[in-house]
This record gives sequence, structure tokens and C-alpha cells, in this order.
Amino acid sequence: MITGMERLIAAANGQKSDRIPVFCNLLDQGAKELGLSLKEYYSKGEYVAEGQLKMREKYGYDNLWSLFYVGKEAELLGCKNIIYSDYGPPNVGHMVIRKPEDIHKLEIPDDILSHPKFEETLKCLQILKRESDGKYPICCYLTASMAMPSLLMGMEKWIDMLLSGPADLRDELLLKTSDFFKKQLAAYKAAGANIFLYSNPFGSLDFVPNKLFEEFSIPWIRKDIESIDPKSLVYYCGGARMNPVIDRVIKKFGFGTFYLSPFDDISEGKQIIAGRALCAGVINDIKLIAWTKTEIKTEVKRMLDAGMQGDRFFFGTLVMPLAIPEENIRTMLDAVYDYGSYK
Amino acid sequence: MISKIKEAYNQAIFDTDKNAALRIVHEALQKGVTPETIVFNVVVPSIEYMTTSIRQNFGASLAQHFMTAQIAAQVTDEMLAMFSTPSKIIGKLVIGTSQGDFHGLGKKIVIGCLKAQMIESVDLGLNVSAEKFVNEAINHQAQVIGISSMMLHTARGENACLGVRKILIEKELERKIKIIVGGAPYRYDHELYKSVKADAWAENGIAAGKVIAQLISEVQP
Repeated sequence: MITGMERLIAAANGQKSDRIPVFCNLLDQGAKELGLSLKEYYSKGEYVAEGQLKMREKYGYDNLWSLFYVGKEAELLGCKNIIYSDYGPPNVGHMVIRKPEDIHKLEIPDDILSHPKFEETLKCLQILKRESDGKYPICCYLTASMAMPSLLMGMEKWIDMLLSGPADLRDELLLKTSDFFKKQLAAYKAAGANIFLYSNPFGSLDFVPNKLFEEFSIPWIRKDIESIDPKSLVYYCGGARMNPVIDRVIKKFGFGTFYLSPFDDISEGKQIIAGRALCAGVINDIKLIAWTKTEIKTEVKRMLDAGMQGDRFFFGTLVMPLAIPEENIRTMLDAVYDYGSYK
Repeated sequence: MISKIKEAYNQAIFDTDKNAALRIVHEALQKGVTPETIVFNVVVPSIEYMTTSIRQNFGASLAQHFMTAQIAAQVTDEMLAMFSTPSKIIGKLVIGTSQGDFHGLGKKIVIGCLKAQMIESVDLGLNVSAEKFVNEAINHQAQVIGISSMMLHTARGENACLGVRKILIEKELERKIKIIVGGAPYRYDHELYKSVKADAWAENGIAAGKVIAQLISEVQP
């Protein structure tokens, strides 16, 4: 039987397997599978790995996640409080940077792999690697240098500093978060992850105007990935649109995959990429909560009609909300397996 | 002259250049333009201009929204102190993020823009309970409650807008206090505001002013 990894490699090489690859990003749902609260679930790497493996087996999609929740990166840099909810992802409850001196004091751990706050993630990765045995790609989530400060000081303060300075403090912080990005990526790679999601809302013109994109986003992307094979990276703007920048990003950096926004036109995205990279068409998964089965199938068909023109395409979700009914997840996936079949 | 000032100010906002925007305003004052004219004929139209450009092209960037609001608030504060007669406030809003939500950028943009539109806002901060939203609206005699949520579960939660609506019904305040919601989940599902029982939603902080002004006009004294 063909594996998720084989499907992905075929798509990346412009070849057809049995169907398009499907990346379904179920995270919090793992707690429900194991009958645990979200707080218990995220307390142990063994639980997260088991949840990921069970859900992939249950639904049949192609990827596994080593991501617990986005705020976990802030814990590696000193965040002492994560706020849990029973209904959705945990939140950062302690801002590491509250005053300018905190930027000077911010220390980037040299060895992420042996950092106590990485211990459970490492356990999760080791289990996923052992159990998936190369059959299913293991994804990791890496926040770009320009986006990481929002987890450390809040988006409001970060945008203010980005736009109005002080420039020396801003640059000092970005140098540190860029260093953190590189060290995290190396740790995940060493631990067995093979899909590296470069998450950067500031890589979208929905977040910054073109002038700032050129002035800040481009140089800091360059800095982040300077010693990394860009083909191994997935360009992702946290759900913000990327079509207007894809051509520039390919020409300047050569990212291997573009994970579109649900608001990007898939046909347009594919035309811009023009076979130079793999492209994910991404569903607006919040709508999956209320859509009927017919609406879900219609939307999946619309997306795949646009994306399957030509090659190098796969189907993706954002981080699926916990409130999506299980039967709607199944309806979406069955529709993708059906309409996305090459047989 | 005003149209040239407006044009230059709008360009500064689009370039997220706060210093340039402030310089344009101060030069206008030196040339004899009144503070009232600057607020009502330069700052408020620039917010409307940004709203229009957002509608036409799905979005000027978040950075531009932030800068529009920040400069609007700063200029309005400065000009209000120089008004020849005190400005007339058209209404009041209490605003905060829903319980469990710690993302304050959206509400900051709303507050910044409202000031120039002569709507007073009371910032209740982050992680605000339904009870606090209603109690503070009563205490401040606000016509509108603004609830900002960045995450789906904090938008749909029982202690967010749904909870506020429940209390307004219990206290028979529905005609006196309206609810507006906003934040990322509402942009992904334009019908979501109905399922959380809000009166209205705004696509972004910049556009919220008009919706809030409309809600204020609908409130029965």
C-alpha cells in the first residue's frame, strides 16, 4: 500500500500516485481520542504522539505533527505561564519581554535538544519517528524571526516596535529570534522531523505593506534560512494570503512548498508558482463547523478542480478547530480522497 | 489646501510613517488650519479612506491599520485640547477581549479610530467576563459593548458574546445596549456573529467605527 511519504514525494516531483497528498492538521482533537483534558494531553510527549498516530490511522490522511501548541516555543525562551482551556488551544499567559532590558536579557538556548522545555517534544518526535518508520512525514512548526516577538511581548507592542523603533532594540531582538529559529530547526531535524513549516505572517502583504515587506520581511527571511536548504521549507503565513508575494519569494529564496491561505485563489497561486514548487490548497476550516455535507463536498470539489490542474498540488487545512464535528472531518476527507484520486 | 493636506496625510499613513503624518498636521496648524478641521476633515476622512481601500482590496495591511489608529488617536488627543469649544461625544463603548483571550491588538485599533469619530471608549482590557462587560457598560452608561476575539473558542464560548447576550436579556437591557464583535474568527465565517448573538460585526478595527456609530444611533435612550 502506498504511504503518505510516497504520495508527498511523488507530488513534489510532479508525479502522480494514487491520489493527492492530504495534510489534515488535527492537534487538540488528540486529547479527545485519549479521553484526556487538553492540559493533561499536552503534559506528555507520549500522549501527543499517541494522539497523532491514532488520528492519522483513524482518518487515513498523510501527515503527523510534532507541534503541541504554538506557545510552546515561548516556553523555550522563558515563558512561565500557559493558560489552558477545555475548548481550544492553550494561550501564552506570560510575556517574556515587558520592558526594553528584557530584550538584552533574552537568552537563546544553545542546545535546544537538551533543553528541559523541549523534553516532551523530543519524546513525541522519537515515538513518531519510530512508529511511522518513514511512512508518514513528521511536520514541525517553526515561528520565523519576525513573528516570534509577538509571542514574547504581544502583537501590539511588537508591531509598535517594528514600525516605530527603537531600531537598535528591534534589531537586537530580531537577531536573537532568528538565531532561535535556526537552532530550533536544527533540533527538530536532528530529532527526526522532515517537514519544516516556516510560519511567518509578516511574510504576507496582509500584515505589512509592500515597502516594509521589502525593507524587513525579505532581509529577515534571508537571515533565517541562510544556512538551510530552502527546498525543505514550507512557506506559511499563518492563514494570511501569500499569492501577491509568491513569485518574489521563489525567485529570492526557492522555498520548496507554499501553503496557501484559504483566502488565496488556488488557480492563481498555482499559475504564479508555475511548477517551481509544491502548492497546498487550504480549506477555510472554521466553516466546517456549520457546513452541511453537501456544502463540504462542493467546497472540496471546487478547490481540487482549481488545484489539480497541472501537478505539484496537495490538500491542506489550517489548525482544525476542536468544534468541528467528527462526521464533518470525515466528510471533508472522504471528498478529498474521492475527488483527489488519480485512479 | 485641505485636499493637499489630506492627500499627504493619507500617504504618510499608507507608508506607516508616523513622523511624516505628525509633521503634516503641525505644518497645517502653523498655516492656520483649525484643530477642528484637522480632526474632521483630515483624520476622520483618512480612516474612511483606509476603510474604502480595505473593501476594494480585501485589506490594507495590519501594520497600516495599526498606524492609522495610533496616529488618529495621537492627533485627536492633541487637537481636542485646542478645540475652540468642547467636542460633543456622540456615544460610548466599552470594549475588551472575550474571556480566555489575550490578544489585544484589534481592540487597540478600534479605540484609536473611535476617538477621532467622537465616540468615547472604555478599555476593559483582556480576558473580560460576560458579567464585567455588562456591569461596566451599565456603570459607564455605554450604548455599545465591543467584544474582540482572536480565537474561535473564545469567540464562541458561553462566557463571551453568548453570555453577554444572556445577561442583557435577563436585565431587559437589549434595547439600551448593543453588542459588536470582531476578530479573526469572524473574518473566516461572516455568519458567526449571528450564531454568537451579536448585533453586528466589523471586519477590522478601522471599519468598526461606522458600525459602532450606527449601533449607537439605534439605541433607545
